[in-house]
Amino acid sequence: MELARQNRRVNLVDLDIVEPCYTLRPIKKQLSEQNIHVIAWETKETIGLGEAGNVIKPAARWALYNEGDVILDIGYGVEGSKTLNLIEGVDSEPNLRIYAVVNISRPMTSTVEEIVEYVKTLGTIHGLINNTHLGDETTPEIVQKGAKVVTEAAKVLQVPVIATTAERSVANIMGIHDCMGNMVRPLDRLMPYTLW
Amino acid sequence: MSEKLITEEKRVFMTGNEVVAWAAVAAGAEIMYGYPITPQNEIMHYWTRLAPKYNRKFLQTEDELSAGFTTVGGVMAGRKAFTATAGPGNTLMQEPMSMAEAMRLPTVAIIQQRGGPSTATVIYSQQEVTMTTFGGNGEGLRIVYSTANHQELFDYTIKAFNVAWKYRFPTFVLGDGYQAKMRESLTVYDPEQRGIELVKPEPYVGKPGTPGVDREPGHYRNTYNVEEELYEVLQDYFKDYAKMAKEVAEYQAFDTEDADVIVLSHGVVSRGAKEAVEQLRKEGKKVGYFRPITLRPLPEDQLKELANKAKKLLIVESAQGQFAKLIKDVIYGSSAEVVPFFKPGVGITTEEIAAKANEIL
Repeated sequence: MELARQNRRVNLVDLDIVEPCYTLRPIKKQLSEQNIHVIAWETKETIGLGEAGNVIKPAARWALYNEGDVILDIGYGVEGSKTLNLIEGVDSEPNLRIYAVVNISRPMTSTVEEIVEYVKTLGTIHGLINNTHLGDETTPEIVQKGAKVVTEAAKVLQVPVIATTAERSVANIMGIHDCMGNMVRPLDRLMPYTLW
Repeated sequence: MSEKLITEEKRVFMTGNEVVAWAAVAAGAEIMYGYPITPQNEIMHYWTRLAPKYNRKFLQTEDELSAGFTTVGGVMAGRKAFTATAGPGNTLMQEPMSMAEAMRLPTVAIIQQRGGPSTATVIYSQQEVTMTTFGGNGEGLRIVYSTANHQELFDYTIKAFNVAWKYRFPTFVLGDGYQAKMRESLTVYDPEQRGIELVKPEPYVGKPGTPGVDREPGHYRNTYNVEEELYEVLQDYFKDYAKMAKEVAEYQAFDTEDADVIVLSHGVVSRGAKEAVEQLRKEGKKVGYFRPITLRPLPEDQLKELANKAKKLLIVESAQGQFAKLIKDVIYGSSAEVVPFFKPGVGITTEEIAAKANEIL
């Protein structure tokens, strides 16, 4: 959304197709109105499909050939990361960067060791994003704790921390950088509207 | 390798399926038998990630019939064994669970409901109530908890193992695709640190000593030659169940004392029902909230009392009257009018429930 506000052409691709629960479909129109090109099914297009309708949209397969910034949203950890195999140009696109989004409130990635072990299962990763939160209960302290652990894990993995993300009101309290010097990116939460 | 998964209480953010796997480890479950089906798959995924670290086991079977029967076998060997399934998998699971009912085996099954009939949909549904509460043939006796949030998924998965092994009835935790997939915060804890004693399992077969000499022979049966013998065995089961029911039945209620309309719901739908009643109360409306946590056994005394005090019972569910059927059986002959609000296999919002309650006030 920040890139779109800078008048860049942003393509947001819904590749969260392995057992999705949250989906871009319900907010597709809202995002499109904010100058984002959303490549995702619309609910009416999936009527008639089978279980969960999680078939890749042909436009998503060729998403890397769009002009401008292309953001691929991939879910479901290890199995989800295999979704990348379906995308044309993954091996030849020099600008492709893959970031793992980490929340240390999730017990499987709550320590440096667990994060390192988990990220190694994902294949090539170019950076980590600290997205530590506890839903509505998130405080700056929780996010800062995440910043410390994720930064430590990034050192072990020898990749950079791309940013710390936090809901806008929490981000405003935290300031421009987190306690480890990573940039803080404020988030506007649309997730409550994105249930299947 | 740490012996305990949870060494201190902490707030965490998890999917419902992840919660179940953690709770099963915390409850001392030793082995899971399972066959994949959405929306319960991640229970298996997370269990298989945790199991090697905590010396637990997993067996993927060729289908749900086998998953159910191997759970039965695991329990007979004295293991805290469990399985998880949904939808058509739950249909297949009924035969082994019926055997567990016949032999009074403390199997634990997590059911993440999906839409039906048949393969249908995978997310929002309360359409496995009839099958999960009364899916066995004959006079099947079982315990069914219906959870509404992640904290309850954790608490009642732990409780299910304890209740099953204490009373020796197959026990089910009934969730749904929404709870399974949704992420929510909860407090995880080690039950023993909270003073919850974990009931120890014991083998049904392969006990030490010579049967008939050192101990009574174990004779666990699911078949009888003579009708009178089955009849006699069942009478004892009914007595045990009735005694257990008073101790196990659970519910939540508020604002029912002076209520003209009481909203009855269970599981995920009760989240919306609770908010709707709270909103209407703030507007001064005489509305109450009642939610059975155990769908079997139901809190019968409390339901009968409500059904003779309130003018109307608004029964809300994401099914075409499966929950209502259970309630109507209990309150038969009571004075309150039953008003249905059924939306089979789709979500029900707070606003819709409030509007319906307002309409009938």
